[in-house]
Amino acid sequence: MNPSLRRLFRKGAPDTAQIDAFIQNSDFPLVDGSDVTFVYRGPAESVNLRCWISGLDTAQPFQPLSDTDLWAATIDLPRGSRIEYKFEVVANGQHHLILDPLNDVLARDPFGANSVCQGHGYERPGWTFESEEARTGDVETVRVDSRAFRESREVQIYIPARFRRNRQYSVLFVHDGVDYLNFASLKTVLDNLIHALEIPQMIVALTQSPDRLREYAGDDRHASFLAEDLLPALSEKYPLIDSPGARGVMGASFGGVASLHAAWRFPGLFGNLLLQSGSYAFSDIGRHQRGPVFDPVVRFMNEFREYPGIPAERIYMSCGIYESLIYENRSLVPQLQAQGIELRFEEVRDAHNWENWRDRLRNGLSWLYPGPLWMVYE
Amino acid sequence: MSEGPGRLLLGPQRPTHNLAEAIVDAGLPEGKMATISAGWQEAENDIDDLREIVGRPLVDLGIYNRADEVFRADEDLARRYRSRQDRLKEQQRLYRLRLKQLAIAARQTIRAEGDPELIAAEQRHAIAQLRALDRHHLHRTESLQKPFGDAFNTGNNELLARHHREIGEIINGCSAVMITGGNIMVLLNRMRLFGVQRLLASKYLVAWSAGAMVLAERIVLFHDRTPQGRRDAEVFGAGFGLIPGCIFLPDAAHRLREGERSRIELMSRRFSPDECITLDNGTALEFAGDTLLKTGTARRLTDDGRIVRLKVA
Repeated sequence: MNPSLRRLFRKGAPDTAQIDAFIQNSDFPLVDGSDVTFVYRGPAESVNLRCWISGLDTAQPFQPLSDTDLWAATIDLPRGSRIEYKFEVVANGQHHLILDPLNDVLARDPFGANSVCQGHGYERPGWTFESEEARTGDVETVRVDSRAFRESREVQIYIPARFRRNRQYSVLFVHDGVDYLNFASLKTVLDNLIHALEIPQMIVALTQSPDRLREYAGDDRHASFLAEDLLPALSEKYPLIDSPGARGVMGASFGGVASLHAAWRFPGLFGNLLLQSGSYAFSDIGRHQRGPVFDPVVRFMNEFREYPGIPAERIYMSCGIYESLIYENRSLVPQLQAQGIELRFEEVRDAHNWENWRDRLRNGLSWLYPGPLWMVYE
Repeated sequence: MSEGPGRLLLGPQRPTHNLAEAIVDAGLPEGKMATISAGWQEAENDIDDLREIVGRPLVDLGIYNRADEVFRADEDLARRYRSRQDRLKEQQRLYRLRLKQLAIAARQTIRAEGDPELIAAEQRHAIAQLRALDRHHLHRTESLQKPFGDAFNTGNNELLARHHREIGEIINGCSAVMITGGNIMVLLNRMRLFGVQRLLASKYLVAWSAGAMVLAERIVLFHDRTPQGRRDAEVFGAGFGLIPGCIFLPDAAHRLREGERSRIELMSRRFSPDECITLDNGTALEFAGDTLLKTGTARRLTDDGRIVRLKVA
């Protein structure tokens, strides 16, 4: 049992006032080295911890603590880990999936929010917080006529602070770009890294597909949209460096697949890829097990594995080791390296979520787009 | 008795500054000061804070903006300038490729354990290879610079020639020249574009960080704490050689990993006989010509991997 709970129950079942005080004075979940104890308080028939982590049971049962309305579940979480979770509370025969009422730390995504457990040793990086010192860039909307999609699409464009027309800029295309802004603090991160001279001032195109599971799944129209519609439109509007090394594509999950696919379809156009937890499902033999939405992904990945070519000169990849996709990501690494691609792969104790992707941005961006830090001596 | 114009070198002027006190302590001659802040790039003109700190008239040379004006007016010159920059960057990249392997080997021999005599011989040879590569790179960068430098400085561009003249007149009319920190590449290149280095020798100079680095014979880039970790120090090119025998390392307390003695040792031995001198926040180093007068809190790297107080010989 967690030491704090043991103390609470030292003289038998605590009374309501003692439990109130315990809850008031504790941070939840209770972290004791690698032992993490989740606590729920309330009437229930059963309580489960749901955290969708590859390697753990999908539902970990809580135990009722004797003669109280407290429930607890302990898991082993290695140092530096970060996981997202919910509680499944069964009451009156009804199952309710809720946020941890005792934990204010939340991670948001397009589907809502999850509670966040920061294991022993995890610390949110300072550069992900807004800074008073960093000048802030702007985000403006550009409308692009797409021949590939036969429609006009809006794209958000990050313009760095101190933007000047007589300078030339690198450009990065970000899949799910608006989600990156909302859930991975991308604008704050760009502002901070540019301020710290760790990346150069750059233009960042934030695309947001209306049908990402289709368009990001190895869809040639999407690759054409990036290469033949959006890039020329931005080159006309902004002073971009005309060199593959100054162009890059980035994305997470299906956005990682879309990034790899676009670079593969247009080799030599994009010099840099930043791929986070890519959904690189493939099948060596027989049919894959991931459901029909992955069919086009598997078709692309199987073809890619057969004929990888050189989609980009430099690739940064990251993946959480608590993701089921870690296998596919690890499988891709030697194949890309065998093509002579300069590749950096980072595995972290995290899962398939926006905060994992946020926390990797500094390493990925500053490696692909090194800033003038080396040259500046203030 | 020391001779030669004064040179006052400082560390970073952020987060705190010692410029005002250092100028008073050094007995800087009265009069106007010309200011070179091209390393600040588009913020070049933001020198109001400096005026307040210094408390004497400052004349902004504005060489960053002057260069922009020249490039806008002469596309061919801008193209050649950019082409030179691209070639220098490529040269630096190729140098870095070779440097990486040699530096790893040199550090490994420094950390090696075993027969001291055998190890010492291999260390000497590994460091000699590094020094040869540094010399080669320095020679290559100078070779790439020279034809462009000659072309830019002949004055055959009327606008460029006018700026040359104006800058010369301003500097001649000032008692001292102040060179700020900032982007070393931008600072160095823009000063060279207008031949500013030729006007500095007889002047009292106040310089900090990148501004101090350009006054040395060799400019060495270094940073052990980039987001990607340690990087091997790189020779960037020749400075103006106004303070021979020194390599200046601004903000070393932050940028160097002082506890990693093999790295410090390698840096010291590699650049010897030049002295690697730190310029940290609060430091004020005074020279008369090339004679060191006062060291303030400046420190130097030693061949046994320490960083110790710098003393006047």
